[in-house]
Amino acid sequence: MAGSLLIELDRVEKTYVQAGVDTRVLRGVSLAVGRGEFVALQGPSGSGKSTLLHILGLLERPTAGRYLLSGEDVSGFADDRLSELRNRHFGFVFQSFYLIPYASALENVLLPGLYGPESRRSLEHRAQELLARVGLADRASFKPSQLSGGQQQRVAIARALINQPAVIFADEPTGQLDSATSAEIMQLLADICTQGASIVMVTHDEETAAFAQRRIRILDGRILDNGGPGPAEG
Amino acid sequence: MRRALRLLPRVAGFALDAVLAYRLRSAFVILAVALGIAALTVIVTSIDGANRKALEIVDMFGHDAVFLLGGDIESRAVGKRTLTLTWDDARTIRQSIPGAYLAVPMRAKSNITARFGSRNFDLPVVVGTTEGYAQVWNWPLSEGRDFTAEDVAHGAKVGLIGDTVAQELFGDRSPVGQIVFLGSLPVQIVGRLSYRGLSGGGGSVDDRIAIPLTTLAQRFNLDRKYFRAIRVKFHNPEFMDAHVENLRSLLRHLHRIAPDQPDDFTILTADQILQFLAMLRGGLVAFLGLTAGGAILVGGFVLANLFSISVAERTTEIGLRKALGAATWAITAQILAEAAMLTLAGALLGMALGMGLGQALSRLGILEIQFSMKVFAIAVASALAIAAIFGLRPARHAAGLDPVQALRRSEG
Repeated sequence: MAGSLLIELDRVEKTYVQAGVDTRVLRGVSLAVGRGEFVALQGPSGSGKSTLLHILGLLERPTAGRYLLSGEDVSGFADDRLSELRNRHFGFVFQSFYLIPYASALENVLLPGLYGPESRRSLEHRAQELLARVGLADRASFKPSQLSGGQQQRVAIARALINQPAVIFADEPTGQLDSATSAEIMQLLADICTQGASIVMVTHDEETAAFAQRRIRILDGRILDNGGPGPAEG
Repeated sequence: MRRALRLLPRVAGFALDAVLAYRLRSAFVILAVALGIAALTVIVTSIDGANRKALEIVDMFGHDAVFLLGGDIESRAVGKRTLTLTWDDARTIRQSIPGAYLAVPMRAKSNITARFGSRNFDLPVVVGTTEGYAQVWNWPLSEGRDFTAEDVAHGAKVGLIGDTVAQELFGDRSPVGQIVFLGSLPVQIVGRLSYRGLSGGGGSVDDRIAIPLTTLAQRFNLDRKYFRAIRVKFHNPEFMDAHVENLRSLLRHLHRIAPDQPDDFTILTADQILQFLAMLRGGLVAFLGLTAGGAILVGGFVLANLFSISVAERTTEIGLRKALGAATWAITAQILAEAAMLTLAGALLGMALGMGLGQALSRLGILEIQFSMKVFAIAVASALAIAAIFGLRPARHAAGLDPVQALRRSEG
């Protein structure tokens, strides 16, 4: 099972309690993401797709249900242990890029690596390579404010790749970009996927979703259509 | 643990980047802390200076001597006589007190101008005394001789000159053998007191001329029977308590003081002088300590506030760092390191400010200031304490941020 299935969610629930009112955002979601898969999570706003992405990315804990990472149940891990897992195995790309404004492109790419065990020298070497790969070799010393939106998102993608993650989570990665730039960014993600990393992406944009191999539709906290292989009893 | 050790320099690097990026915040924190540390520097250096001065004074005073003053300085009633000591007292002390080998009477006259040729020097005091003056104060003569018993017996117009006065009136020439006018009284200088470099009360001890007590009393119309003080030197200073008791009994007997009456004299010892100086210093410490404490507290509050604001502003950055794998401790350490870098910079600036201020104060003669490693250590320790105490809340707040909440908030 651990061979091809990277992440498995088993009957995951997520309930937010706000001002004494329970809001059930996820209602028993079971889902598997395999190695090298490019998955799009789609659904209208409020459907729970972002929460699902956060849970898959170990940024939030499920209220109930199990999370298996390469077959190991990590649901009960402490926060810092989850930080370490995110750092080692996951990369993140956000709609608003979230680059550190006072750090150069290179330093931004290095950031997750510097929280890991690898030496700075080999990290810098790879960061340069990654910047070259996203077409920004000559912008390494630029601050985010000196870069266009598309360039900033490329820096963010390079940052997501620095620790050679198994999965990249992308939350509306093209949400702030024009359509030509969006296509470039999606092509970049698709290329990364063919080189072995899984990608889980939230989007409400059909053109963007078209780059994915598998499209999971979510409505009211339930999986409507799990778009392909994997256990989908829901 | 190993991982943490490896990460620490990187976390310090993140902190340095942030410190350099948020310059206005950094400048305010540095300044606020610097003011507190400057106050602290002044207090520590001035206490050191006061301690050193106290030791010098006591050193000059000598542990083998007492200073006997007429009148009771502790409960001096208005109009009570302070001239209670006589030549007989001095003689009897030297002859009757076991261990007392020198008893030198003294009296001072203030505000007399010394003149040599066209040069003038306003003397804070002219001291009238007897033979043994230099010896009784452990004050060697750099040239010439001390008074003799004949000088005192005949009211000779001879004098010992303080080093500063000699410099002012004679420059590099020798004053010995020269005639100096004290007001209208011509006095031949027979000895020069070596440089002491000690100041206190009304100016330096080197600003004086001493003449025989008999001469002073005759020429300046002072009481011939009484004088103000006797300096007594003892063998075996380890029995000083006994010496003092003997002295007190003898004087009470000589002055016919009834058992229920207070002393009409005061015996000062080196220990009492130390206690008195410690009391003065205590006042100084209390005043400066409150000032420094207040200033440091203000610096700490400025830091706490600016860092709280900063953490709020940098919610996205902190949430991002956590999302990308920073452990809780790494965030806490980064914010504390930012605080510590700023407070340490503030400490260095504050020390410079404090030393500058101290220089100005010691030039005015208010405080004596000297830099030491102790000052440096205290300043650095206080800086780190400020960072730890006032930076901890914002740091823990930052470390406790939930990455999803933090990132969502910034998206609006």
